[in-house]
Amino acid sequence: MPFTTSEHRLSPSALSATAQAPRSAYVHIPFCRRRCFYCDFPISVIGQRRRGETSGTIAQYVDGLVQEIRATPRLNAAPLQTVFFGGGTPSLLSTDQLAQILQALDNRFGIAAPAEISMEMDPGTFDLSHIQGYRRLGVSRVSLGVQAFQDELLAACGRFHRTADVYQAVELLEQASVPSVSLDLISGLPHQSWADWVDSLERAIALSPQHLSVYDLTIEPQTPFGRSLQPGARPLPTEAATVAMYRQAQRQLTAAGYNHYEISNYAQPGHRCQHNLTYWHNQPFYGFGMGAASYTQHQRLSRPRTLRLYREWVAAYVAGGGILDCPPTPPWEQVLDGLMVGLRLAEGMGLRSVAAVYGWAGLELLQDCLRPYIEKGWLVLDNAGQNAGELIPSTRLRLTDPEGFLMSNQVIADMFNALTPVAPTV
Amino acid sequence: MTDAAVARIRNFSIIAHIDHGKSTLADRLLQQTGTVSDRDMKAQFLDSMDLERERGITIKLQAARMNYRAQDGQEYVLNLIDTPGHVDFSYEVSRSLAACEGALLVVDASQGVEAQTLANVYLALEHDLEIIPVLNKVDLPGAEPDRVKQEIEEIIGLDCSQAILASAKEGIGINEILESIVLLVPPPPDQTRQPLRALIFDSYYDSYRGVIVYFRVMDGAVRRKDRVRLMASGKEYEIDELGVLSPQQVEVEELHAGEVGYFAASIKSVEDARVGDTITLVKEPAEKPLPGYVEAKPMVFCGLFPTDSEQYEDLREALDKLRLNDAALQYEPETSSAMGFGFRCGFLGLLHMEIVQERLEREYNLDLITTAPSVVYQVTTIKGEVLEIDNPCELPDPQYREKIEEPYVRVDIITPEEFVGPLMELCQTRRGEFANMKYLTPGRTTLIYELPLAEIVTDFFDQMKSRTRGYASMEYQLIGYRPNPLVRLDIMIHGDPVDPLATIVHRDKAYYVGKALTEKLKELIPRHQFKIPVQAAIGSRVVASESIPALRKDVLAKCYGGDISRKKKLLQKQAKGKKRLKSIGTVDVPQEAFMAVLKLQ
Repeated sequence: MPFTTSEHRLSPSALSATAQAPRSAYVHIPFCRRRCFYCDFPISVIGQRRRGETSGTIAQYVDGLVQEIRATPRLNAAPLQTVFFGGGTPSLLSTDQLAQILQALDNRFGIAAPAEISMEMDPGTFDLSHIQGYRRLGVSRVSLGVQAFQDELLAACGRFHRTADVYQAVELLEQASVPSVSLDLISGLPHQSWADWVDSLERAIALSPQHLSVYDLTIEPQTPFGRSLQPGARPLPTEAATVAMYRQAQRQLTAAGYNHYEISNYAQPGHRCQHNLTYWHNQPFYGFGMGAASYTQHQRLSRPRTLRLYREWVAAYVAGGGILDCPPTPPWEQVLDGLMVGLRLAEGMGLRSVAAVYGWAGLELLQDCLRPYIEKGWLVLDNAGQNAGELIPSTRLRLTDPEGFLMSNQVIADMFNALTPVAPTV
Repeated sequence: MTDAAVARIRNFSIIAHIDHGKSTLADRLLQQTGTVSDRDMKAQFLDSMDLERERGITIKLQAARMNYRAQDGQEYVLNLIDTPGHVDFSYEVSRSLAACEGALLVVDASQGVEAQTLANVYLALEHDLEIIPVLNKVDLPGAEPDRVKQEIEEIIGLDCSQAILASAKEGIGINEILESIVLLVPPPPDQTRQPLRALIFDSYYDSYRGVIVYFRVMDGAVRRKDRVRLMASGKEYEIDELGVLSPQQVEVEELHAGEVGYFAASIKSVEDARVGDTITLVKEPAEKPLPGYVEAKPMVFCGLFPTDSEQYEDLREALDKLRLNDAALQYEPETSSAMGFGFRCGFLGLLHMEIVQERLEREYNLDLITTAPSVVYQVTTIKGEVLEIDNPCELPDPQYREKIEEPYVRVDIITPEEFVGPLMELCQTRRGEFANMKYLTPGRTTLIYELPLAEIVTDFFDQMKSRTRGYASMEYQLIGYRPNPLVRLDIMIHGDPVDPLATIVHRDKAYYVGKALTEKLKELIPRHQFKIPVQAAIGSRVVASESIPALRKDVLAKCYGGDISRKKKLLQKQAKGKKRLKSIGTVDVPQEAFMAVLKLQ
């Protein structure tokens, strides 16, 4: 935790001083064979025949990435503990290209040994030699985009792969002895039935991955789904059905020995995603690539979301000597960010940062706004003050699973409102 | 300064449609005459309220005195009396015009004459004003001065051969305008020897000096320390401070017939010195007041409730303060089981209502729930009593009613010809009765309808604008009351009637309005953890019903590094929305829901 002093009140500047230097790096690989119907990520479609070995676009992009990494100031003497290749489809990278990027990161920031190096991979985009190459470069964790185990559901959401590809991919990962494998599943897909969902969970468990991410489908406005589907209306399952699916995942996966450690994430002991925990603990991280976000020295920056604009941005960034042109997040906003991400975790979050920035008045306002949620059983206080329900800096707030998780936005929105009157107006 | 010979005074105002450049022209005149130095010139000097400057319209009028050396070598005093440019304030306009001998008619040379301009020109003609046509914005590429001249001649019957071509923005034609004022506007009649009669054309409240009264001396003279009587209110005051507006206040000892100025006399509220009242001397009073005084009568009513019931007292204080400055604003406490304590407020029109709401929220920092506007209905009971009902929930039940009458207005719409069809359709759906149609000039038409006022105070104006791509303009005046088969439509949320959502509608439209309203409310009221029925009923008969499904999840499935900023914005938006909710029983209802009836398609 970033705030580990016994003092109840820290000045905002003290809070900033305790923030750690980045130990994590996110690298965005935007290329995909096609765009899935639910996806609003920054990606670039390159078609089905090309991969890193044959695509000039990818090669050029990797050059830009390496330039960006080289131009970025090192903010931490200690090496990177986690690196995450997200996409897009990072498994479209050739081994050489991955090597170039990791080499650049190591030269610039150092990479700890061992480090958690995660890579998102899509079934059907790699063979044994690829995964063995990635392994040799240090990739220790693979997140496989399974989404569903029913071919017709995969087709209906624009996925390229089929169930057979999933089984083949898992076997390749096994052969390459990837130490930590995570499977992504989506609930609430169009045409998905209750039986489909239970079947997907069973089959996923049967493959005994170390980690599972289970996402309730979000219909984003600027996507094919956003244009053609109405939330809760056919062919989408009803809202009640998606809630039941969420609960079912929680029951079934918990029973299979997975720990529900974040709203959408499950892990076997020792296999939580350290990289993603960086986000949920609101700690700093480097970010590289088109559309990637970084959070360094309290500056949160999202890079341009198209290849051309990203290329131009890198050129200017390199020419400018690696200086980020964006204002730092002020301490009171940092606290709101911290609440929003911290409450996603089953472990919840402590209130030291709130007390440090908003003072005891802030804790009192939170106390009033949270009371109804505690009564409803959505929220639990650990280590509350002497009087029941009293918030003190050492108190931890936890949303309950699944009731509190399912309504988390309601709780967080009220907490934002509660803190508005005491937000500094500087 | 008060030695201005009556023969060399010119009192004039400017008549113009919104955006046709009145304020810019006024600024230019002040600059050209050296009244305001270029350095002190802030854009649009006369619109002094922030709200006015933002909206680009004049709400409270002001005045300015300019000294001008004309080409004949003589020094003249020109008094510009500004007029508000909106139909809600036509009474104020008429008082300002009564204080003048001439008016500049400013028309945008690329647009043409609009309905509101026309209404004000007719008012000016009624007061026998000399009207000088000015075609503004002639520098714009789309300017068609000849077409617009022809239009003015045909519509108003005003000779435009001498019309001045101007561009206030570019400073073109300003000298010509000043010379024309001197040459064409007649000087005031010399009535200095008569007993004092001065016309109040505006007043505002100043927290240090009390009400500042703007007036034009019609007869006689007034001096500092004079004891004056306001003939309509009957109140008497001693003048503490007397002065002219140049345009900042400059004190003088005396003002005589023909002059325009201000005074302060420790008057506590503008109610005591209303626009149109006549000032005379206590010791030598005039026999009769000046004609034309009318007390402002609210036409549109709505409920104002604080979102947070603890702000009730703050709301009362804020209304008290606004009222000091706005004699047309009326309010009385209202209690509603759904909304708690609030006020029923009366306004001159929709703009007036919006302005008051906005000022309460902005200047007094109040979070308000505003109910949909209503008009005043005259209800005859079976006992023969006539009740004035401005709040739908006070409408007596049908068995006690003999009849309901509602106010009707005559609406004049000026529109390009091609929109006549859509506008007629709009008027028909608003229960309008066709009265007349006139072809003004090739391509432009006046459409005259008689409509219930209640149909105008909803979104009529917005609809008219959107159906004519903004080209049509309108003006309306009250023409009396007419009986109609009207019913009260009640809205029930979660089984409880919600008074502020009740509306009075025509029987034939009740089903349609009920259906549209329940659908709209379903859209506007956020989901709760339980299912919420929303019903529309006439008496005990439910005519439409919807239900808001229960909320079972409210969670962001994904939130990783790249999402944090965007997801936080979403949550902050949600948080802001939650803040603006009013709890009605167990249901939280947003402010927009109370205006839903205005937004039905």
